[in-house]
Amino acid sequence: MWKTTLSVFVSVVLLATFSFVVWVVASHDYRWEALAPYWKNLLSGWGTTLLISVLALVLSVLVGVLLTAGQLSGHRLPAFLCRVYVEFIRGTPLLTQILIGYYLVADAVGWHSRFGVGLVVLSCFSGAYLSEIFRGGIESVPASQWLSARAIGLTGAQTYRFVVVPQAVRRVLPASAGQFANLIKDSSLLFVISVHEFTMQAREANANTYATFEAYLPLIVGYFLLTFPISLLSRRLERRYRYEH
Amino acid sequence: MSIEIEGLTKHYGSTRAIDGIDLAFGDAVKVLALIGPSGGGKSTLLRLLGGLETSDSGSVRIDGAAVPRDEEGQRAWRRRNGFLFQSFNLFPHLTALENIVLPLVEAHGWTRDAARARAREVVERFGMGDHLAKRPAELSGGQQQRIALARAMAHGPALLLLDEPTSALDPERKAEVLDLVEELCRAGQRTVLSTHEMGFARGSADAVVFLSAGKVVESGTAEEVFGAPKSETVKAFLGKVMRW
Ligand SMILES: Nc1ncnc2c1ncn2[C@@H]1O[C@H](COP(=O)(O)OP(=O)(O)O)[C@@H](O)[C@H]1O
Ligand SMILES: [Mg+2]
Repeated sequence: MWKTTLSVFVSVVLLATFSFVVWVVASHDYRWEALAPYWKNLLSGWGTTLLISVLALVLSVLVGVLLTAGQLSGHRLPAFLCRVYVEFIRGTPLLTQILIGYYLVADAVGWHSRFGVGLVVLSCFSGAYLSEIFRGGIESVPASQWLSARAIGLTGAQTYRFVVVPQAVRRVLPASAGQFANLIKDSSLLFVISVHEFTMQAREANANTYATFEAYLPLIVGYFLLTFPISLLSRRLERRYRYEH
Repeated sequence: MSIEIEGLTKHYGSTRAIDGIDLAFGDAVKVLALIGPSGGGKSTLLRLLGGLETSDSGSVRIDGAAVPRDEEGQRAWRRRNGFLFQSFNLFPHLTALENIVLPLVEAHGWTRDAARARAREVVERFGMGDHLAKRPAELSGGQQQRIALARAMAHGPALLLLDEPTSALDPERKAEVLDLVEELCRAGQRTVLSTHEMGFARGSADAVVFLSAGKVVESGTAEEVFGAPKSETVKAFLGKVMRW
């Protein structure tokens, strides 16, 4: 009984809020014609965001795997260094990391590609979060599985490859998908080093036209188009792996 | 099978899991049963026999060969033998067939085809042919244990080590597994098992060792230990477990 009441209540509140927001947004008096000259820029910005997201996604998985390996290596020094790295990255603002990465570190080695540096900083940032997710996934594989693998005579590497990683991957999928969505949205901070990604283009359009909502509304659609497929894919994979209890 | 154990000890912190054990059995003993109260050291002794754990001191020789003390040597030792735990033996992400094929291919270097054929053969023999494509979560506890047993013996282990293979099962499931174990023993599979199934130990084991607090309290043939126990500890234990 209380379950029904609760679900009716939640549905009503959500529907009401949602309708209200849609109504307010839809009934605003837009000047879309002011934005007309900027559509091309917005589209190219979206393309840049897509590209940097895909590349950073791959690179951050690599960083995450290396950090996880370092932490689980059983050797003190790499474990300690990886730990420090992860804590430091997770404990400081991405904005500052991008600024330091581009204007101080990359500058010191003579690298001036905004896109390249942005990609690397973003991957290092997201990789730190992923490594925590991966480590949790590996540690969640029960001791009985390690023991069974030992008992049948698998080596350490074989145990990871055939027993631990396949089970860990299924467990980390939802959290990793969430982190990938964050990564896509976080890429908007690359405006501080003038990478011409999606958000940067919207900011410029706004600055030139003062058509604030017209410039920023496309971001909703654009980012959702990038994050929603990840969410869908993650759900599908989760369903496929549901045999484990 | 000859088993020679001399001055064997294994401590966990201040717990003396195995506390100076000496045992010797000759070739006539094909099936050895470890019995005794929980915490007596049965699992620890099995892990030491199987190369899953390194002793603090003493030695174990099986057919004259000492159980290695280094990781590499122990791995080779584990491959040669077969181990079955009380539960959670199988890998949940693999089907029954894949669970059996994995060690044959990766630890024993068989071809995938040969491994599949062997897995099918063993599983058919265990009366589980219909379940090859199922994952552990789709099998009952007894079925899981039978698949795990198939995995432990598919490569023809020199020694089969079973740690309370039926303790986690319902009474009617225990028989399914014990029947198989008995059949394997009859067929000449050399086996060391720990068990609380006294009827099984009495009927199938050539020798029985009673362990308590890490020490051997009594050992001998099944008839000696069950028929005429010498120590009060064993009498009291058997009196309790046989009463119901
Ligand atoms: N990995 C371990 N760490 C700490 N103590 C252990 C461990 N394994 C066994 N012990 C202890 O050693 C003793 C013997 O345990 P075990 O060999 O499991 O006995 P049994 O199998 O006869 O019940 C017990 O007191 C147990 O708590
Ligand atoms: Mg035990």
